[in-house]
Amino acid sequence: MTDNSLPAELEEPLKQAIRLEYWNIFWTITIIVAMGLVLGQSETMKTAWVEDTLGLVPPIMFLIAARMERKGERSEHFPFGFERVNGLGFFLAAVALAAVGALLLYNALMALASAEHATVGSIVILGQDIWLGWLMIAAQIYSLIPPMLIGRKELPLAEKLNDKLLHTDALMNKANWLTGAAGLFGVLGLGMGWWWADALSAAIISLDVLNDGWKALRSSTAELIDGAPRALSSAELSEDAQQLCERLRSEFPGSTVRLRETGRLIRAEVHETHSPAECRHPRHYWPGDDARAWRLAQVSFIPPAGDVPGDPG
Amino acid sequence: MKWLPFLFSLLLAACDALPRDPDGTSRRVTEGGSFAVIIDPAVRQDRAARALLREVERRAGARARLSGGTGEDALRRLREGQADLVIGRFGKASPWATDVAFAPPLTSTGPKDDPLELKAAMANGENRWIMTVERASRAVSAEARAQ
Repeated sequence: MTDNSLPAELEEPLKQAIRLEYWNIFWTITIIVAMGLVLGQSETMKTAWVEDTLGLVPPIMFLIAARMERKGERSEHFPFGFERVNGLGFFLAAVALAAVGALLLYNALMALASAEHATVGSIVILGQDIWLGWLMIAAQIYSLIPPMLIGRKELPLAEKLNDKLLHTDALMNKANWLTGAAGLFGVLGLGMGWWWADALSAAIISLDVLNDGWKALRSSTAELIDGAPRALSSAELSEDAQQLCERLRSEFPGSTVRLRETGRLIRAEVHETHSPAECRHPRHYWPGDDARAWRLAQVSFIPPAGDVPGDPG
Repeated sequence: MKWLPFLFSLLLAACDALPRDPDGTSRRVTEGGSFAVIIDPAVRQDRAARALLREVERRAGARARLSGGTGEDALRRLREGQADLVIGRFGKASPWATDVAFAPPLTSTGPKDDPLELKAAMANGENRWIMTVERASRAVSAEARAQ
């Protein structure tokens, strides 16, 4: 048994998730290469390509965080291990998504405002002159398939691990069809002679990137500043944390319960009460499914201020 | 599986239907029977330039109306819609590369790292017309085919 912060029951699902993320990176690179070969001057293609490239950020962050969480042992300098590295990775991924989404949206709106007409010329393949747009469409269709398959496999693992980084990646992958549809519309519209379709599609794709980034930013910031535990896919308070709060309040009436999240783990402070007489493991207080009791890593009791020796109160 | 040949022929028809020009250059050229060309007087008698003009005329089914012009002035007039095509010598790394669409070069002269290329330029985004000129360039020049 290693002295890291990862609950033992998460070892196997975490290994599965790591394998899946390596596959995710491999397929994403094939998409980036395929899209990069046929970019042309299309704003849609450039935006979709940047989005696909950004798709590498969550899996890379996840792999770094998972490695530190598994291999990084507690030490004098890091007495709590590296359980919050995942949260930091989530925050960095969110900043990257939001910033690039905003930049892409700006570019698309500028292209629309200046009525830029994107040139998509021809290319010779096996002696045939082919409109580059057809290759763009083929690349767009290819870029839809791996993310959808990987996203479906990521989702149950993310829920099992309560991993926001993995969950954000899974949702981004699953929702990739929207980007793909917008991209196809952009290139086909360009082919139809609708110059605005290209920039409009780019704007839609960048809005999607910005939205993903904004949601992730809200949730990750809440974790970094010790906000109450948030749900996996939104900035709302998590349901299991709220149940835990009620459970602790009912067992310790008159107390104030404060919860925070460090990575995938919840830490609770029960104020204005004494700790129970018998020694209990934190998992004892978990209100729901026992298989998820690992979520609660710590319960601390803070007695009323008047009980402190020497305090006149 | 009976629908496969039908789908295939539909796809082929679709392949030919796209792209179209936002400002309708190809249709205007075909319907009007002519297109406006600004040609650099220095290349007017160039064999490759003349071959390109003939090939574009053949493919578009229209006649070229020639006028003289060079460099930035010619490209500016192209952007303003005063011409459908400009033929001249332009640097390989021309700063105009994002403002107009250049066809593959017919011939190159000068230093290898920064050659001067004889090529056609079209208005950005007129993708069908651009394809027509690109195809014509490749048909008349081995250098263009090698690009």
